[in-house]
Amino acid sequence: MAASTVAANFDVFRFDPARQVQPRYQRYTLELAPHTPVLTALLRIRAEIDPSLTLRYSCRSAICGSCAMQINSKSRLACQTPIGPEVERHGRVVVEPMRNQPVLRDLVVDQASFWAQYDRIEPHLKLDPAHPMPEGRTTSMTPEEVDRFKETPRCIACAACFSACPAVEADPAFPGPMALAKLYRFVVDPRDGATQDRLVRIQPNGLWLCLRCHLCTEACPKDVRPSERIRDLKEMAIAVQGGTEHGSKHAIGFKDNIVDLGLLNEMKLVRQTFGVGGMLGQLPQGLKIWRKKPEVIRKPHRIEGADELEKIYAELDKRSETPK
Amino acid sequence: MLRHEVVVVGAGLAGQRAALAAVEAGRDVAIVTKLHPLRSHSGAAQGGINAAVGAEDSVDTHIYDTVKGSDYLGDQDAIEFFCREAGPIVVEMEHFGTIFSRSPDGSLARRPFGGAGFPRTIYAADRTGLALLQALWERLGTERFTLYPEWDLIRIVVRDGRVQGIIAYDRKRGEFEEIAAKSVVIATGPAGRLYSRTTNAHSCTGDGVAVAYDAGAFLKDMEFVQFHPTALLETSILITEGARGEGGILKNASGERFMSRYAPHVLELASRDVVSRAIVTEVADGRGFTGPYGGYVHLELMHLGKEKVESRLQEICDFCRHFAGIDPVTEPIPVYPAQHYMMGGVGTNIRGETNIPGLFAAGEAACVSIHGANRLGGNSLLETLVFGREAGAAAAQYAVGASATTMRATDLDEAARPIRGWSSRSEGEDPSALRTEMQETMERYAGIYRNEADLLEGLRRIRALRSRFDRVRVVDASKVYNLNLTDAVEVGHMLELAEVILVGAYARTESRGAHARTDFPKRDDQKWMKHTLAQKTSTGPNLSYAPVAYTRWEPKERVY
Repeated sequence: MAASTVAANFDVFRFDPARQVQPRYQRYTLELAPHTPVLTALLRIRAEIDPSLTLRYSCRSAICGSCAMQINSKSRLACQTPIGPEVERHGRVVVEPMRNQPVLRDLVVDQASFWAQYDRIEPHLKLDPAHPMPEGRTTSMTPEEVDRFKETPRCIACAACFSACPAVEADPAFPGPMALAKLYRFVVDPRDGATQDRLVRIQPNGLWLCLRCHLCTEACPKDVRPSERIRDLKEMAIAVQGGTEHGSKHAIGFKDNIVDLGLLNEMKLVRQTFGVGGMLGQLPQGLKIWRKKPEVIRKPHRIEGADELEKIYAELDKRSETPK
Repeated sequence: MLRHEVVVVGAGLAGQRAALAAVEAGRDVAIVTKLHPLRSHSGAAQGGINAAVGAEDSVDTHIYDTVKGSDYLGDQDAIEFFCREAGPIVVEMEHFGTIFSRSPDGSLARRPFGGAGFPRTIYAADRTGLALLQALWERLGTERFTLYPEWDLIRIVVRDGRVQGIIAYDRKRGEFEEIAAKSVVIATGPAGRLYSRTTNAHSCTGDGVAVAYDAGAFLKDMEFVQFHPTALLETSILITEGARGEGGILKNASGERFMSRYAPHVLELASRDVVSRAIVTEVADGRGFTGPYGGYVHLELMHLGKEKVESRLQEICDFCRHFAGIDPVTEPIPVYPAQHYMMGGVGTNIRGETNIPGLFAAGEAACVSIHGANRLGGNSLLETLVFGREAGAAAAQYAVGASATTMRATDLDEAARPIRGWSSRSEGEDPSALRTEMQETMERYAGIYRNEADLLEGLRRIRALRSRFDRVRVVDASKVYNLNLTDAVEVGHMLELAEVILVGAYARTESRGAHARTDFPKRDDQKWMKHTLAQKTSTGPNLSYAPVAYTRWEPKERVY
């Protein structure tokens, strides 16, 4: 008895910048069982058809983080993506290198910027001199304290999130989801003594550049949920420092609007985010909006039933996580 | 020419720990690795790390379990040192930031493991290797050293009776480079890709072991190859021993918990060689399941309950769901043994020193020997850290006293010329075809059960493959990430090691630990209580033997 197979077409991105002017897509066709991972297919292409096809891979079990790539336009681990559903949904398997990182050859990308952002968050324990590690024994940590790391210890640094992130594409200063999930891991670590400093330093050109699109969480093969941890970091950052960046001021202003008025007032929000002087910079945009939708630019007023919203916020404030 | 005092090859736990020790000793250190350090195979270790830390457990029990597990081939002085260092090195890793699983009282959680008289395996869910690798890399990141990522080790230059440096190959640029070094630490990890069924990553090709052998280092006990009992059928992805430690049971096709016939006292928690042979016997005798991917047995976790399975065996759940379409909470897992670990390696003493001055080795690439004929689960992570540190410290100390190195202009060319020649052939052997044939040969003729005829046939086939390898051809013409070329380099390394394994296994006419000869089914302490040493000659490995070190434990029959 042999497992049933399907004929699968692979359109694989090929590019050797040293020898070619532009990339091309090469088609390979293989007979494979539907549960065959894309990585297995690519290795069969290398072994049986074309040994020049170039990719990174190692463990083939979603733990080394080597084989992240674009599979039918989604950032995935090749070893963890079966071909069957891809062929069914898209009729073929388009395999391309990860995004937001320059291609070195075929499916291999230069990860220098990804690793630089990882280094930026200073990924190591920083001890508070007043609380050194206990001599000759481990620190005490309850299972509940371990739970506070959420799923961040599962991160395998595959960079699928970095590849999927539009904020990384828009602004190379953005640390990216993986680095911020890693930052969260240190911020909630009861052994780390630099929580406040970490939360202050990540804000300029960092935390608030996140667009809250959650594509990182969708891309993550280990369910680390970076966007949720970024949200937690934002809450903690405001708790530590209040509004210092446009992003945090906007978040605070948004909430104040709702609590005060019961609905958003764009004029007020723009003033809170950018300040009175900064509003001038937003003037062209404001005029454009006023021409199309004049009702948006209006005097703040409190709606009926806003008291109820106020109560909801009061309850949420009570429940929210505060940094240790 | 690049120049460093200490060059560490391999950046898994052993290599990183060696580098940290050498940096802390004030040396100029470089790490050469064919991966990024965080991609190293140490990160795939699941179950845990052994340390007798609780009041109820004792270091002596850990020592005894390891000696017994080794089938009395482990060096008892080394094992005593190893087990004593376990507690402190686990504390150190916790202080470096490792996120271990915890007990309600805040102490490190521990689980039972095979061959252990006490639940002493400390863990981080079922990703202990990853947790340690991240913490160590993050700790090492606060120090100054040079990293050469995605560089392959090609040659160790030995002249005037000592190490002078290495020749490496930079995958990104496609260039050979010489790195002068007073001392070199080999920490290149496993060689599982010698076999077609292995839990090891594709990168586990024994490079450092083969290159050290080529440089004149003794390889020790290479015939002892561990097969992990529970690898996922078809892919051979590892299902941690922790799954049995947490209460998982093995059943054959008639639903019988067959381990009761092989290890009546501890059942599934017998040591790995025992459980692997039991599964192979069940399947061979027709009591296993059959399917398109061969015979197998069931590993059942269903009775443990959803919460326990999903929290303590989270990665296993993911593996089963993604790679086998099975939910271990509700279904049995189809498993069959697969190559998992090399007990053998570059022969060293407790300090990681080899027979070549300036050459050190640690981790799976080395053989101290603490695992003897069979390694206990949870002892390999411990080995990487304890002996990584020792080798790094010894390499640093050696570098202080060593005179300047003398690399010659011809060193690089001598190492690179044959490899460059592979690309200029108009016809020749395909490296991946050679690799597949080698893997099938080792699987068939040097697997769990061995006998004289099989080993001789295996040797004949491997030697034929070696002569075909002399005509290996690289067709990829690019200099950038030429995997066709690095494939060929790796196959060359593995063929070298395959021959050593077969020659050692053929010579050892007894059964001990993982080396099971059907034609010599008994352990023979009179004749074979000794380490095999293999040294390279122009006609193949030359075998000699070294005594096993004893302290307190007299050899007994091994019953679980």
